[in-house]
Amino acid sequence: MVRASLMLLKDAGRGFCNSLSQMLVCPLSKQPLRYSEETNSLISDAIGVSFPIKDGIPCLVPMDGKIIEADDMPKTDDAADLSSKNNQ
Amino acid sequence: MAVCIPLPSCRFRHRPVRSSLERQELFGRIAPVYDNLNDLLSLGQHRIWKRMTVSWTGVKMGECALDLCCGSGDLAFLLSEKVGSNGKVTGLDFSKEQLSIASCRQGLAPNACYNNIEWVEGDALELPFSDGYFDAITMGYGLRNVVDKERAMQEMFRVLKPGSRVSVLDFNKSTQPFTNLIQEWMIDNVVVPVATGYGLAKEYEYLKSSIKEFLTGKELERLALQVGFSNARHYEISGGLMGNLVATR
Repeated sequence: MVRASLMLLKDAGRGFCNSLSQMLVCPLSKQPLRYSEETNSLISDAIGVSFPIKDGIPCLVPMDGKIIEADDMPKTDDAADLSSKNNQ
Repeated sequence: MAVCIPLPSCRFRHRPVRSSLERQELFGRIAPVYDNLNDLLSLGQHRIWKRMTVSWTGVKMGECALDLCCGSGDLAFLLSEKVGSNGKVTGLDFSKEQLSIASCRQGLAPNACYNNIEWVEGDALELPFSDGYFDAITMGYGLRNVVDKERAMQEMFRVLKPGSRVSVLDFNKSTQPFTNLIQEWMIDNVVVPVATGYGLAKEYEYLKSSIKEFLTGKELERLALQVGFSNARHYEISGGLMGNLVATR
C-alpha cells in the first residue's frame, strides 16, 4: 500500500496521450471530442461541455462535465461558426 | 455546473441497495487492498477465471479491446498480452482510485506491451466511445454493481463491432439452493472476516445483497438477447460459484 502511494506521486506528471482523444466521444451526445491543450480538457462542442483530464486520464463520467460559459469558448474559427449558427 | 441525464426505464433494473455514487465511493475505499483481497479470498483462482474470460472473447493480435469496470486492471493487462503492441486496450472505470492503481501497475510492469493500454474514467452506462469500435469487451465483477444492467448491456452492444463478443465474469446467482448456501456461508465466514481484518467489513457485506439482487445465468442470457445480441450463453465456473456470460453481437 505504501509502495502504491509512492508510485502514485511519481505518476502524477504523466501527460495526456493526444491519440486517445481520437477514439473518445462525448458520453452524453456521442459526438467527437476536441482536445484543448490550453485547458488540458476534452471539449464537446456539440453540447458545450468540457471534461477534465487528470494525471493523463480523461474524466468522462457525465457528472465530471462542466458547461462552458460563452466567455470561456476558445476564439477559433470553429467556435465562431458554432456561435453564429446558434444566433441564426 | 454538472450535466445530468435521467436513466431510461428498465424492467431488469432492481431497486438499488446503494446509489451509483455510494458504490463509486465504496470501490474507492477498497482500492488500495483490492488486489491483495482478490488473491486471498479466491486463493488466487480469480487469475484463472479472468484468463477464461479473456479467452472467451476470442480477441486476436492487433485488435481493439475494452475492459469495463476495469478496477486495478487485471483483465486489461491480460487483454494487452493478447492484442500485442499493434493492438489497443482501453480500461474504463468510474473510480479514480482504482484507475490510479491500474496506471501505477502499468508503469511498474517490465513488459513493454502494456504500453498499449489507455485508462479512461467513465460511466459504464454512458460510454464515451463511438458505435461499433471494439473487437472485444470484457467486464469482471462489474455488471452486478451497475444500477441499470440493461443500460450497461445496451452500451456494450452499441460500442461492439458486429460479430464480436462481450465476456462478463461475475458471481453466479445460482438457482441451486445448495450452491447459494455455500456461497453465502463463504461470504459470511471467510470473506467478511478477512475483509474485517482490513477494516472493510461493511464494504464486503455489500457482496451478499448485490448477489441477491443480481440476475441468474438464464436471466442474463435473456437480457443479452433482448438488447440485441445474436447469441448469448452463460457458463457456470468454479462449482457454480462464479459465472461468465458470453454474448455475440
